[in-house]
Amino acid sequence: MQKLIKIVGEGNFTDKLEELVPYSYDASMNVHRPTAAVWPESTEQVSQIVKFANEQKIPVIPRGAGTSLSGGAVPIKGGIIIDLSRMNKILEISIENRYAKVQAGVVCDDLNRALAKHGFTFPPDPASSSVATIGGNVNTNAGGIKGAKYGTTRDYVMGIQVVLPSGEVMHTGAYTMKCVSGYDLAKLFVGSEGTLGVVTEVTLKINPLPRHAMTAIATFARLEDAGKAISQTMTSGVLPSVMEILDKVTLKAIKENTDIDLPVAEVMILTETDGFTWEEVEAQMEVVLGVMRQNNPSLTKTAKDEKERLGLWKARKSAYATLARTSTSFVLDDVTVPISKIPDLLVGIQEISRKHGLIVATYGHAGDGNLHPQILYDEYNAEQAETVEKVEEEIFHLAISLNGTLTGEHGIGLSKAAYMTLEHDPVEMALMRQIKRTLDPNNIMNPGKRALD
Amino acid sequence: MTSPLQFDDEKRKAITQCSRCGFCRAVCPIFDLTKRPITNARGKMILIKEVMEGKLPVTEEVAKAFLRCTTCMNCTTNCPSGADPQKVIKAARKQMVDAGHDNLFKAMGEVVEKFGNIYGESARHDWGHKKGQAPIVLFLGCVGTYREEESMAETIRLLDILKVDFTTIDEVCCSGVMEDVGYPMKEEMARHNIREIRKTGAKTLITTCPYCYRVFRDHPSYKDLGVEIKHVTQFLKDFDFQVKTDKRVTYHDPCDLGRHAGIYDEPREIIRKIAPNFSEPRRSRENAMCCGAGGGFRGVSPKDSVAISKNRLAQIVEETGAEILLTECPSCLHNFRNARRRLKIEIYNITEFIAHLYQEQNSKKEEAA
Repeated sequence: MQKLIKIVGEGNFTDKLEELVPYSYDASMNVHRPTAAVWPESTEQVSQIVKFANEQKIPVIPRGAGTSLSGGAVPIKGGIIIDLSRMNKILEISIENRYAKVQAGVVCDDLNRALAKHGFTFPPDPASSSVATIGGNVNTNAGGIKGAKYGTTRDYVMGIQVVLPSGEVMHTGAYTMKCVSGYDLAKLFVGSEGTLGVVTEVTLKINPLPRHAMTAIATFARLEDAGKAISQTMTSGVLPSVMEILDKVTLKAIKENTDIDLPVAEVMILTETDGFTWEEVEAQMEVVLGVMRQNNPSLTKTAKDEKERLGLWKARKSAYATLARTSTSFVLDDVTVPISKIPDLLVGIQEISRKHGLIVATYGHAGDGNLHPQILYDEYNAEQAETVEKVEEEIFHLAISLNGTLTGEHGIGLSKAAYMTLEHDPVEMALMRQIKRTLDPNNIMNPGKRALD
Repeated sequence: MTSPLQFDDEKRKAITQCSRCGFCRAVCPIFDLTKRPITNARGKMILIKEVMEGKLPVTEEVAKAFLRCTTCMNCTTNCPSGADPQKVIKAARKQMVDAGHDNLFKAMGEVVEKFGNIYGESARHDWGHKKGQAPIVLFLGCVGTYREEESMAETIRLLDILKVDFTTIDEVCCSGVMEDVGYPMKEEMARHNIREIRKTGAKTLITTCPYCYRVFRDHPSYKDLGVEIKHVTQFLKDFDFQVKTDKRVTYHDPCDLGRHAGIYDEPREIIRKIAPNFSEPRRSRENAMCCGAGGGFRGVSPKDSVAISKNRLAQIVEETGAEILLTECPSCLHNFRNARRRLKIEIYNITEFIAHLYQEQNSKKEEAA
């Protein structure tokens, strides 16, 4: 440990129990103590730390804001936490070349505030954007509400600087809009959950900020109608920037626990169109509303000004908080299915919920099929703690049976590691493990995750 | 291992309310400075959860960690899960003191008892103002009286200019702060203040310190006080001030006045009357960042406390370009003045600044004459 102190300095190292306890957690239900934690201030320091860890075969766990909902940041095999929060400089904003180059510890919202001054944005907007770091975004391929139109972090990563498990520093990618020079190694690290190296710098493509947006909601008494409305909207020729869904359990919880006035409905859809001119935004919304109206909505409502817009967003924005407040504990998943399968997923989740007697409220991003079942329980109730695992397992089986995936944006981490083989066949698993072994023969990088060991 | 501390159902619920999302990282002034997870609300909620579950012993270091919080309440306001970490932290401080982990505030309590103020000062400036019968009592508090005397003098002068019939009293520390740092209220201090206030026959008590305001308004020890309690900004909001400034002015919401007491509009109403060129920093009202002084943190970690103040001040200057920063809290004022260094911004309590404007106006009149 003296070696680590020598690399980062005394003030940037800790092995005190009380400081390691908070590093034993993230936003999931997983817990394990690390051995030490460091706050490097440069790529050179990260390189020396990783080199040392590799020689000593000590696990290394890169950490951003620790907001992972899958246990991705929990040091399940102990080891050294590399907390990148102090590497939080925006290195370059090149508007003329449409990119921003940042250190891994830069917080999403800080980057977007800096870009907004130029009328630009980095579109992926996870709910945790006020604290989430770009390094964390890259490692989980973070998405968010605007995924259907604007994609996820992967679509914006142009290049990265990464410290490989050997301690070597690699630059990969380009500063150009196009590049097919060699294998796309940068993208290999996107969504790698810290299992292949420590990303220290990222070059991100940036977009002009849309100047106008219009919001609408529609409620439906029948799930099938809502499902058709979603699919037909997404194939109408108009790509809404937002297409969110809240199921009846979520709506009921919001109605019962807040003063938000909500109609009684099976499903609520919230949608937004955006663009360069107001006319363009309105014309798009006409198309979306037309589709909604063809599918027997019990209500449709549009927002004419910012105040009304925030009013319509209120229910969606309060979903997580309302559910978190009404339960002792919860698990928040992110299964994703082809958009036409959303009604099947919702019906299936409600059946699983009834069968096991735990409340599961589902909401999320209908536009890209990425839904968030939030399973409510009490971690201090042994029976419920066991049941919640069964509920999760059945939801994962359901999503896969619908041609879906275990995770759209939170990552596999620890929570879903046991289900990797549900989704990936033995040939694919073998290749993934081979890639991991090739880059990280001593398995020091965030070991124990994604069933790769 | 069973927990060395006792947790009833209410405490357990308050602790499990945290879902560890980490959103408090964005608003915690100490975390903003240190980037050490133990310093933000989630870090401490995790520590106390492990203590409750019997997984973590209460060492001196663990007990100390709970002193590293300014109780600014920004985490509470921004918590999606509805947790109130500052309340849990204050309760934990008390539990730890009860379990024998005395902290440095034990000495402060002794000082308060002996000297009647938190600083152990024996000589008290009384600004030469009248003491006796009046419809209004002005209570100045420890920080104003002993650390910002000149500012208090200006507040008093303003009330005189505005022809407010008020008296000061032989006040002692309101002593509410003791409970925030783990020790019991000094009931004798409260009784002394109540006696002194009653002697004046006043119907209204005005405080400059938002913390004293909260203690008088909310603490059971003062429930029989029998007078109306007003923060000075509430008291002055309907006054007409015959002065104005063209300077660029901004305002810092003290945590004790804003998030803790819910007073946001009155200071702004006053400022708009005297400073048309008023703009706000990005983080204001419910989301205002803390100056770093509260919750005993200035005593625990004076260097970090001033460093936090410096950061807040730098952000305010960058975002507003203001020449004048106003607030109405002796603690914020004191911390900001300690942190100002080479920054050009001038910092005042609102009442102090208005008194200055009157003085400037008088000087101009005299010059003209």
